[in-house]
Amino acid sequence: MTAEVLPRLAVGERVAGLEISGAWLVDPTSGREGPADIVVSDGAVEAVAWLDGADADGIGPDGIVVAPGLTDLHAHFREPGNEDAETVASGCAAAAHGGFTTVCLMPNTDPPLDEPGVLGRVLAAASASGSPVRVLAYGCVSARRAGEQLAALGELADAGVAGFSDDGSPTRSAAVFRSALAYAASLGLPIVEHAEDLPMTEGAEASDGLVATILGLRGSPASAEAVAVARALAILAEVAVDEPAARLHLTHLSTRAALDLVRRARAAGLPVTCDVTPHHLALTDEWIAGSRRWAWDGAEDRSAAPYDPSLRVNPPLRSRDDAAACLEALLDGTVDAIATDHAPHTAVDKHVEFGLAANGISGIETTLGLVLAAVDAGRLPLLRAIKALTVGPAGVLGAHAGRRPGLVVGEPADLVVFDRSDRWTVTPATLLSRGKNSPLLGLEVPGRVLLTVVGGRLAYVAE
Amino acid sequence: MSERLEAPSDPEHSPEGEPSPEPVAWRHRHLLDVDALSKDELELVMRTADEMRDVLRRPIPRVPALRGRSMTILFYEASTRTRVSFEVAAKNLSADVVNISAATSSITKGESLVDTVRTVEALGADLLVLRHPVAGAPYLAANLFGGSVLNAGDGWHAHPTQALLDLYTMRSRLPGGTVADRKVVILGDVLHSRVARSNIWSLTAAGADLWLCGPPPLLRGFDAWARRGAAAGRRFTVTSSVTEALRDADVVMALRIQRERMTGGLLPSLREYAARYGLTSERLALARPGALVMHPGPMNEGVEIAPDVAAGAQSAITDQVTNGVAIRMAVLHLLAGSGA
Repeated sequence: MTAEVLPRLAVGERVAGLEISGAWLVDPTSGREGPADIVVSDGAVEAVAWLDGADADGIGPDGIVVAPGLTDLHAHFREPGNEDAETVASGCAAAAHGGFTTVCLMPNTDPPLDEPGVLGRVLAAASASGSPVRVLAYGCVSARRAGEQLAALGELADAGVAGFSDDGSPTRSAAVFRSALAYAASLGLPIVEHAEDLPMTEGAEASDGLVATILGLRGSPASAEAVAVARALAILAEVAVDEPAARLHLTHLSTRAALDLVRRARAAGLPVTCDVTPHHLALTDEWIAGSRRWAWDGAEDRSAAPYDPSLRVNPPLRSRDDAAACLEALLDGTVDAIATDHAPHTAVDKHVEFGLAANGISGIETTLGLVLAAVDAGRLPLLRAIKALTVGPAGVLGAHAGRRPGLVVGEPADLVVFDRSDRWTVTPATLLSRGKNSPLLGLEVPGRVLLTVVGGRLAYVAE
Repeated sequence: MSERLEAPSDPEHSPEGEPSPEPVAWRHRHLLDVDALSKDELELVMRTADEMRDVLRRPIPRVPALRGRSMTILFYEASTRTRVSFEVAAKNLSADVVNISAATSSITKGESLVDTVRTVEALGADLLVLRHPVAGAPYLAANLFGGSVLNAGDGWHAHPTQALLDLYTMRSRLPGGTVADRKVVILGDVLHSRVARSNIWSLTAAGADLWLCGPPPLLRGFDAWARRGAAAGRRFTVTSSVTEALRDADVVMALRIQRERMTGGLLPSLREYAARYGLTSERLALARPGALVMHPGPMNEGVEIAPDVAAGAQSAITDQVTNGVAIRMAVLHLLAGSGA
């Protein structure tokens, strides 16, 4: 393929002219993929020409790929309150490096985003960053995220939040959760629930199972997630009778048991959607014991030291069977989206004893790589992967996501270009996020991002 | 970052293998757990401990093996016997010993383990003996420390010198001098026990017929480990039937039961625990005549072990303490000789 980019641009500048010839174009809206030429002019898509015959010779899905810009349903940018770990500006740069053009931020900042003023600060920071990455945010379900009283849901909706979540924790009170679900229905917004039964996971360091037993780590049982999902679905079933607009989104599901519950609920017609993270698809708790094999790979190995604190995350990395269940649920449509749960932390919070390390993985820049590793292994069709990163999350966000993902002639260009054959090594220097807390440091992942364009403006271009 | 840590043992590796005719060299820079020790390496530690026990029998039990070496003992948890045992062992080998306890150091001012380990190294320590309440903490320390790290207990995870002294004590007292094919029972709070976890590795590697017994909530997860172990040739049975476990046992090791287990909802009461799982003379009668009684200490007499059993003729509990010094001397000698 050839790509002719323009005069050299700075981030935020309009892409005056861009011609991509002979790339593999994936259009998740139409479901079509194949060789194509794409022309962008003055920030808008000027032409999309699908190639066939001799023109298509030698152009495959394993080289340069063009797709609509990716959408992340779940990221933490730490501003306000913990700017050492991430700012909105550094988060946007990281997102663009990861191929994301839209991010939806979780409200567990300090102060939490439980009233419109905090949203204003976040959006002002996004605007001041110069990055064209679209920043959306959820508001809290409960005031101060304390789980006892409702946050200012209506005012937050008026200010433009994309939904409500107490993420980082479940909505503590089931009564508050029930009210929030009904109230949010009247506002046309989803409740995004972090499903965890807290008494069952108190002090937990890793998923309950063989690895935790051998390493002496306090276990978080899979049933703690299933119990919380069952609670949320039972309440949803009841609320949805009176409030047909009620919508529940379950984020970062990680267990077969929870995914089975969602599959049944969807079959019964409940208005529930869900996402999984790339690390719960590709990594397992065996990584904590020193394994560095993907979840779908054969025999385990022990190539690294145990107890790498960058692997401490909530929900914890699970068994191979749970990771396989995440993949199956993605393939059968139970899972709508892959969400990064990008959770940057400082070394002070992360370079400590495993059980004292903050939960979370800085993952927005390695999500595409992990997903493409599954595609490379033949476990996930490329089109399904791209759908779960574009139309899937856009569907959950509804009108807040803007127009449907796709390269539409005459509309502003919103796209990512990556090279599946170009493997890159994850290092602190290659990550633009301030959070260097990635378990992939020193490892190679496929699919270097070459170019990210948001609304016709440059968001990222590889050196 | 320093070199890679020793990887845990290969699950395919058979612990049943014959000892090799060649003498084994010590190849470990740190002692973080016993999972990485082969049967031959366990033999080497045992033989070295024999030599150290000879030293201990001298009128002045002191040799210059570690003269000029500096050992720092860094304990983030209260301990008497392990800390003193390491200190005595190091002094017997003529090492210089520095003691840091969490209560009196700048750790209480919020200094991180990473900073503390760097400080200890900058102050010239060659050997770092670390006890820490969080599983895996010694692996973090080993990644930073230029010398050798000895794990003196990390959370629920490992207590390698305890497992080695337990093996040594069993071998010293059992007829035939081996644990191979002997029924060894670990009785009590297995879930929270680093002693149990380390003993699983060393006793199964040495060929013992290991049984773990306790109330079901305190055995959580160990069945899966036993199934995995069986596939790798490690014999290891989990049961909550104290009768089944103790019948014809050669060794019974009781574990300390802590009061927190009641408030955490894991057990109804200490009284009920003592009635159902306490090691009494009636229960001990199920074991083979003369079966050894062990306990890693500190004991709750009258709870997990009856006072008459703890002090009885079958008790090897004071041997465990004495052998602890020999084992720690052996380990220090091997690690210091590894060129660290």
